[in-house]
Amino acid sequence: MPHRLLILSVFIVASCGLAYELVAAALASYLLGDSVLQFSSIIGTYLFAMGVGSHLSKYIKDEDLLARFIDIELLVGLIGGVSATLLFVIFAWVAAPFRVVLYALVFALGVLVGMEIPLVMRVLNARKAEFAEIVSRVLTFDYLGALVVSLLFPIVLAPQLGLARTAFLFGIANAGVALVAAQAFRAELRQATALRLRASIVLLALIAGFVGAEAVTRWSERGIYGDQIVHAQTTPYQRLIVTQWKDDLRLYINGNLQFSSRDEHRYHEALVHPALSALAGARRVLVLGGGDGLAVRELLKYPGLEAITLVDLDPAMTQLFSTSATLTALNQHSLTNPRVQVINADAGQWLETAPGSYDAIIIDLPDPSSYGLGKLYSEPFYRLVSRHLSDTGLLVVQSTSPYFAPHAFWCVVTTLDEAGFHTFPYQAHVPSFGVWGFVLADRHGRYQPPKAYSVPLRWLDAEQTASMFRFPADMPRPEVEPNRLNNQALVRYFEEDWRRVIR
Amino acid sequence: MQRRHFLKLAAAASLSGCEMRLPWQAPPLTVLRPGMAAGHALRDGLPAPDPAREREVEVAILGSGVAGLFAGWRLAQQGYRNFCVLAGPEPQGNAAGSALGGIPCPRGAHYLPLPSLESAHVRELLAAFGILRGNPSSARPEFDENVLVHAPEERLFINGAWQEGLLPQHGLEAEALAQIERFTARMQALREARGADGRRAFVMPLALSSQAPAWRALANESFANWLTREGFTAEALRWYADYCCRDDYGAGIEQVSAWAGIHYFASRGGHAANGEDGAVLTWPDGLAPLTRQMSATIGAERLLPGMALRVTPRGAGVEVLCLNGAEAFRLRAKRVVLAMPLHVAAHVLDLGEFGFDKARDLPQSASWLVSNFLLDGFPREASEEHPLAWDNLRYGGDTLGWVVATHQWIRAARPAQTVFSAYHALPPSTGRLWLQNAAQDELLELAGRDLRATYGRDFERRIQQVELTLRGHAMAIPAPGFLQRPGIAALRAADQHILFAHADLSGLSVFEEAAWWGEQAAHKILT
Repeated sequence: MPHRLLILSVFIVASCGLAYELVAAALASYLLGDSVLQFSSIIGTYLFAMGVGSHLSKYIKDEDLLARFIDIELLVGLIGGVSATLLFVIFAWVAAPFRVVLYALVFALGVLVGMEIPLVMRVLNARKAEFAEIVSRVLTFDYLGALVVSLLFPIVLAPQLGLARTAFLFGIANAGVALVAAQAFRAELRQATALRLRASIVLLALIAGFVGAEAVTRWSERGIYGDQIVHAQTTPYQRLIVTQWKDDLRLYINGNLQFSSRDEHRYHEALVHPALSALAGARRVLVLGGGDGLAVRELLKYPGLEAITLVDLDPAMTQLFSTSATLTALNQHSLTNPRVQVINADAGQWLETAPGSYDAIIIDLPDPSSYGLGKLYSEPFYRLVSRHLSDTGLLVVQSTSPYFAPHAFWCVVTTLDEAGFHTFPYQAHVPSFGVWGFVLADRHGRYQPPKAYSVPLRWLDAEQTASMFRFPADMPRPEVEPNRLNNQALVRYFEEDWRRVIR
Repeated sequence: MQRRHFLKLAAAASLSGCEMRLPWQAPPLTVLRPGMAAGHALRDGLPAPDPAREREVEVAILGSGVAGLFAGWRLAQQGYRNFCVLAGPEPQGNAAGSALGGIPCPRGAHYLPLPSLESAHVRELLAAFGILRGNPSSARPEFDENVLVHAPEERLFINGAWQEGLLPQHGLEAEALAQIERFTARMQALREARGADGRRAFVMPLALSSQAPAWRALANESFANWLTREGFTAEALRWYADYCCRDDYGAGIEQVSAWAGIHYFASRGGHAANGEDGAVLTWPDGLAPLTRQMSATIGAERLLPGMALRVTPRGAGVEVLCLNGAEAFRLRAKRVVLAMPLHVAAHVLDLGEFGFDKARDLPQSASWLVSNFLLDGFPREASEEHPLAWDNLRYGGDTLGWVVATHQWIRAARPAQTVFSAYHALPPSTGRLWLQNAAQDELLELAGRDLRATYGRDFERRIQQVELTLRGHAMAIPAPGFLQRPGIAALRAADQHILFAHADLSGLSVFEEAAWWGEQAAHKILT
């Protein structure tokens, strides 16, 4: 019986060994990217460490074999079990030594796991089993365990349990082997009781870890984004994170808040309706950026609109907001509406070649935080936009905060003036952003803010509208240069303004 | 995956090009030697077949570099119709462009300084193409912002870090900084310097500069000599001056004359209403768009393929024996404009008749390597503070840095692919021979030297395609004595049946000078 038990333990031990390796590699790929590099370097480190472990196993004296085997099982269970959670917490809260801890953990686990099989073989050998039989049995179950885990991990464990709980689960299995062995071989062990006690404590700790892992993970994600992450994706263009806390959905792009579902209606009503409600006969609207479909949701309230074209850079973004249940509930399936055409292209490139003119153009691009984005706020770009705007059409540009970044905001206004537009700047209060700014522009200076709205709105009304176009005394217009491609003044203003605000 | 399916995929990948290139395979390489085979055949006097046909035309312009195209553009623009432009073996000359992976990039010159008031001919050209707006003779005209170089313009890697601008500053000692400041002020003052004849001393086009001997004497010593004499001894300053000369003249301060060296700094006084002083005009494929627009004005029907083999005065006109591929033909013209480098002109015509002595008057020419690298994505930058600029240079070496072909694109995100164009002027004495004999590996090593030093493996692994353009006789070097060559003066003055138009008449190769001699030839024809 003890003989079979040892063979079974080999099966479990082998599964656990491979599982920790896979968890570490998957976690590193998830957090650091470049999965080929992560997988191959972690597997390499791990196998090498196993070799070191096998070598070290010869220093264990014959009389201590069983006790050390149980100790090692406990240690592997403990380190392997907490590995994923520990790494995640380190990544979230302390940026620098992540890789050091990662490879140290992998190496330590490899050394310990590398000692297991030689020890089991020696235990069996000491019990006078035939050597050929030992090697055959032990290695058969060793490889079998590896096969089972390599299939279970990607199909069942990682998707169902997540990495943190998978690691704890295998930790529990290791500690379980230790406890059972301590029980089964108590007659041969000198300090059987102490060993059993140790094994029970480790087992309980790991079970607690398994239960609490989710909370810890959520807590470390909150360390990064404040709320629980419901979607995380790295695209060729940006990193998209959607978080949720109770009924508050938030989208972050490269760590910058794009909207909060609590008050995004304020932003999008302010962006869309002052222009659209002043355009009685509007048929065709162009939206640049706005891949979340929220501006389009507002546009779809106008039954007279026949065609809405949305040009957004990132297919992953529009895909996400066309398919995710929570997000399409928020944008009311606007991106899949038959009146809406979604085009994934760089707005600059698309405008250079696209035909057609529009009654309204809504520019809802990210803030001008890079030279690339700065070009899409430049005078030549607005001239290009102007070629696509009908003679009586209206242009709206989201223009960062006139309160926090006054130079940047008024630089957008000045640039539009320079590009031949008549401008009508306005500002709205969006709690999660603060005071936010927009610039409305037309060709002939005839724009009048709407006196009433015919579409259903949650926040905007005639009174709000009138006050939006008035700038209070503490928001004066500073003297600024227009944003030219050869000076990129806006990017400079934007950086300087926000540096003054953010501590 | 089934084996057959895999094989199909592999085949498709090899058909679609380089995406599936394995790490140890070198990227596809194209080596271009514009005009070399044709030029050497001409030099070696290979026999031409008998002309199969003849064409009669009033004016034949031989060569389609900037000088030839400008002459043709001016004629067409003035309503003159009876002329043709023979493309020659090197269409577009040093202003040629290319495209790698659909991304336009330069094969030669890549920018034009803001034209000064004296470069009225260039201003007119830019106005005709809508690049210069408003009055072309105003001090500060407005330029098309798409073409004014976008920020960030230039950066220099010096003393272990990037700095803004190419003038060395970062990590220099006080003495060097003081010398650089003094040098800048000195060059600023020389912009306003005038000779006894009332003209500015250093003007683009240089033919309009003051003829006063006091200034022209500077053409008799080397720039290095002058710098030493003036106390400009700081290493960083001398390196910068050397870089500027190599960048424009293909030779450094030891080889070019003081007059030319100062001319580089003091002649470019152009201003823009919507750009800073010292700004430049640039297009993704260098100056090629200007040549295309000039060609469009000239009209495709007047642009003939083929090169001139022999120019012979005949009665009241000139006969030109031309070769297009294997077919020879003859042009009969009342007048011809030799819009070709003088070392080539000397093989189609006896320049001695004009008083041109090859040994005395022919300028030495510089050799260039222009290297275009098509890259999958942008290599990672070490510095966030000084991101990739249009022009990127490393201090201390003898390379000329690299420009980014997609810099002027108006895009929110960086394009998936880009082209970096690296420039090298080879040592005047040995460069041409080296270019002719270097193995591909050696050429590639030099071509990517700066980029490897900057980005290491990250650069190598992104290379999808390489195009090297080798220009053995890229341009004349304005060496000491270059302003005092009687043979050049004679060719400039020629006004009978045979006219000359080429930057070689200035002795330094820049767009404005080449265009100037095209303008002069057109003027002689039109009056």
